[in-house]
Amino acid sequence: MSANISAAPQEVAPQGLRRLADFRLVPRIDTYPVVVSFAQTVVGKLVLLVLFGLGLAYTEANWLPLLLCLALITFVPGRRRVLVTVSTLIFTFVVPWWYFANPPSEVALLLLVLTLAALLFWCATLWPRSWYGRRPVFFLLCGFSLLIVIASYLPRDTTSYTLVWDFTYAFAKYIWFVCYFLLDRNAPECDSFGLQLGSFRPFWGSTNTPYPKGAAYLRRIEAHDIHQLAVTQLKGLKLLAWSIVIMLFGRLFGFCVYDYLHIPKFPQALSLSANLTPLPWYLCWASLLAGFLESIISLSSFGHRIIAICRVAGFNALRNTYRPLSSRTIAEFFNRYFFYFKELLVDVFFYPFFLRYFKKNRKLRLVGAIFAAACFGNAFYHFVRDLGTIQRLGLRRALVSYQVYVFYCLVLATAISISQLRHRKPAQPGFIRGQLWSSFLVLLFYCLLQVFDSTERSYPLMEHFRFLAHLLNLKL
Amino acid sequence: MDQLPKVRDFMKKLLALRQDTRPFTDTSSFFLSGRLSSVDAVELVVFLEEEFGTDFAEIGFDQAKIDSIEAIKSLLQAARVPK
Repeated sequence: MSANISAAPQEVAPQGLRRLADFRLVPRIDTYPVVVSFAQTVVGKLVLLVLFGLGLAYTEANWLPLLLCLALITFVPGRRRVLVTVSTLIFTFVVPWWYFANPPSEVALLLLVLTLAALLFWCATLWPRSWYGRRPVFFLLCGFSLLIVIASYLPRDTTSYTLVWDFTYAFAKYIWFVCYFLLDRNAPECDSFGLQLGSFRPFWGSTNTPYPKGAAYLRRIEAHDIHQLAVTQLKGLKLLAWSIVIMLFGRLFGFCVYDYLHIPKFPQALSLSANLTPLPWYLCWASLLAGFLESIISLSSFGHRIIAICRVAGFNALRNTYRPLSSRTIAEFFNRYFFYFKELLVDVFFYPFFLRYFKKNRKLRLVGAIFAAACFGNAFYHFVRDLGTIQRLGLRRALVSYQVYVFYCLVLATAISISQLRHRKPAQPGFIRGQLWSSFLVLLFYCLLQVFDSTERSYPLMEHFRFLAHLLNLKL
Repeated sequence: MDQLPKVRDFMKKLLALRQDTRPFTDTSSFFLSGRLSSVDAVELVVFLEEEFGTDFAEIGFDQAKIDSIEAIKSLLQAARVPK
């Protein structure tokens, strides 16, 4: 049975406003039937790849091998997943070969990490009812934490110290990809290890956060026919163009704000505040606002580029950053700002807690799960990401100096909890009451929270509070 | 299946909260298409638990299982089958 349901009656907007809302700097080429038909032809595919290649050449250092991989995937769509794995292996072992400090040793470490991932997956599927089989991700994260503890307490200048740290660094790059791999173990249509490898730091790029999630997600968003592929690739081309526009805007923004107006960068403003020679309060605000907008611009441009390549490879992934400035709630901004990081926290920390604990108490259940993800998961992710700091400072000092980011995570989780517990109401009528005021409050909150969004550990928590006081023209 | 009108009605409300006024069918994707987020998935999970006694800790949670009305229908049918 199928029903076509309209969620609410459509509001009739004035024609002028509608035209303005419909205006697109980058045209919606994926909705033009002629363009979609053309993109399905051999010539159309070649034109699309050439245009995409031009964009890549402007933004990516390794644009040529990237374009060759995309061309191969475009013209042999039946073998897409296998080719994604091959391309990923090329970008893991061959392309960065000249950048490896010690190629044989680094390749051996990467192979060891991938073998360990396969072994963990195999054990989880072989003994699904065992303690490990039921919670392999928990086991993996505990094991990795233990590895860091061991590495931190090994005597320096020994072979074992170097070997263990080298392995820890290599494993850290893949740990969240392995998490998605393990989460996929119960799926009925779970891919073979060979296909899963394609989602381990895929060739279209990623950070330690998997873009876009794991192999299970790739299976669902893959283009299944020539029409879907054309639309997905056109969306990719459009997104790359949008990424370049944002990047150019970011450069202009940086020039205007930092070079022309001479507004100091946020770390500099914080440093002056910590040295008890603070800038005037209005410059502190300007510096904070500029830093906040700059982080949104750079994350948008970076994320769009990765997702654009992923789309041209035939996977219709959602954008990483989507209109964060229009968020009406704190939870919505967290979702729109860094989608795939939020998804990682939700999949690895939120749901395991939410589905198991406090099921009788709805509020406690929700708050507990939010703290598991936005506070613990967030803090854990960044702590194990910055292994260099742990190695340099030692585990105890690294933990103590992490106080600022832990505070940031606590405030963030508390705010998201309050945002989620408040009964959601439909938007107020009118642009100012319904959209602008809510968005302004949300952005103000995140802008102020940016004061504590620091994993550099340059200053103790007190110095960040001192800067916050300067913003209000107070002295601490 | 008599549960479906309730599910459709709930999805309609959830979309309206996100100011999404576009129509949907039983096969429309909610989460993979980006119309709803994982924050909304939590509300749907609670709704299915409370309304139909679905235990996701037992059957395993996967957003694909609640991505459309059709998927939810299959999930509810599978959850009712005694193991």
